[in-house]
Amino acid sequence: MTKVSFSTVAYCKIIAHAAKYPHCEVNGVLLADISTRGENLVVVDTVPLFHQCLHVSPMSEIAMMQIDQSASSCDMYICGYYLANETLDDLSYDKPAHKIVDKIIEHESDACMVVINNRLMELNQKESALIVHAQDDGKWKRLNNSNVQIENVALVAASAVLQQQLYNNLVDFDNHLDNLALDWLNKEFCLSVERTSGHDTGRRLMINKIVS
Amino acid sequence: MVNFSEAQEKLKKYREDNERKSKEVLELWDSSVKHKINQLGNDRYLVLEQVLIAACDCNRIDVAKACLQMLLNKFPDSLRVRRLAITILEAEEKYDEALESLDKLIKADETNAQTRRHKVAILKAKCQISEAIKELVEYLKKFMVDQEGWQELSNLYLLEGEYAKSAYCMEEMILHNSQNHLYHQRNADIRYTQGGAENLELARAHYSYAILLNPNNVRALYGLYLTARSLMSSQKNNQTKKNTFKKIATLSLKRVEHIYSEKRQLNKKDQLFELETLMGWLHLSLN
Repeated sequence: MTKVSFSTVAYCKIIAHAAKYPHCEVNGVLLADISTRGENLVVVDTVPLFHQCLHVSPMSEIAMMQIDQSASSCDMYICGYYLANETLDDLSYDKPAHKIVDKIIEHESDACMVVINNRLMELNQKESALIVHAQDDGKWKRLNNSNVQIENVALVAASAVLQQQLYNNLVDFDNHLDNLALDWLNKEFCLSVERTSGHDTGRRLMINKIVS
Repeated sequence: MVNFSEAQEKLKKYREDNERKSKEVLELWDSSVKHKINQLGNDRYLVLEQVLIAACDCNRIDVAKACLQMLLNKFPDSLRVRRLAITILEAEEKYDEALESLDKLIKADETNAQTRRHKVAILKAKCQISEAIKELVEYLKKFMVDQEGWQELSNLYLLEGEYAKSAYCMEEMILHNSQNHLYHQRNADIRYTQGGAENLELARAHYSYAILLNPNNVRALYGLYLTARSLMSSQKNNQTKKNTFKKIATLSLKRVEHIYSEKRQLNKKDQLFELETLMGWLHLSLN
């Protein structure tokens, strides 16, 4: 993989997840379209996973099963993992929870891993807050910022999400397990991003009834 | 604009319920309480303390320092106010300075649990997890009934991947309060993560007990399903046992399905269909 780009909705969801739980560590997975699989990775959507207790495995297994199932029903695949640490300057990715990414790599050698730089979580997003890593010879290497593409629209939309506190509507898998009526696919949140940014968010993860 | 008495009530509620609503607290402060601090009566100093902590949380050091000054004017020698001053240092990321003053406070009053807890928190903020664990273990030797302390220790051990020790802390929590389904569920979560036949059996028992205490604990239901599924595939168990585990797994999934269907009216049909498909798929993977 040489370049990674993030769609507006993918970027907004990552930022919103970290903003909704500023005092917790959070994680989630990245999704891409099977049809665009190739040299460059295009992240089209994300699923926010947990904020309460990341380091036990049962609920991640359940979440991954469900995400994998719905992704394959709409021709997407899990292409990476993101995390934000609890403390401000912590950019590490070696805690037990993050072994999920090793599993993802087993299936998808081109997967990437994103660490959120908490210092760049500003109300006015001037630059991307994501630190993207790709695997190189079995080791994680940080990708140069020039190889990470986040459109200006995405930064503007993310700023709006933070300023208007839209992140309160974001539902992660923990919220879903607390109340099964809440939708971890986040249709509502995506619509609100669409409304504020005035742009179509493009393809998103959904469950395709016909295929399944 | 919230009126003054409403704001006062809200702040009181947050304090009593121990809620971390820092942004809300600061908004109330900015919009109404700030100018009428003298009309608060005896609550005044509690409110100042509350606002100070919220301000540190939201990086409004100016507000925090103003509150601290008012508190210092009233209580120049109070240890509690000095601890708040340390909180501000911490928010300014002057961790070493904060630790230094904290050590002095601990010496001044060795029986104060709060100062010792504070020290653990600062070590954690500095990402010195093993030091934080050491400090917390020392603390828990002296203050064994501090449930929050045990919970934090359990979480810190998880960060280090020390599942057995983490589970021990959870068991300590269960001893304190055996009727809390969340403790049983978390203990089972840890056992399942750790793996191995014996731990899976323990996970099964604790998940079951959590479900007995609260049949709506979805995490425990899913957990029991996963545990039963792993036990099913284990070679050690004979056929009758395997059949029992299969029954357990099916039953827990049925219960999850039932909880989903109870939420039916809350959802669009579409979403329920999605969930049912997932459920069906989980059923399939059982065989």
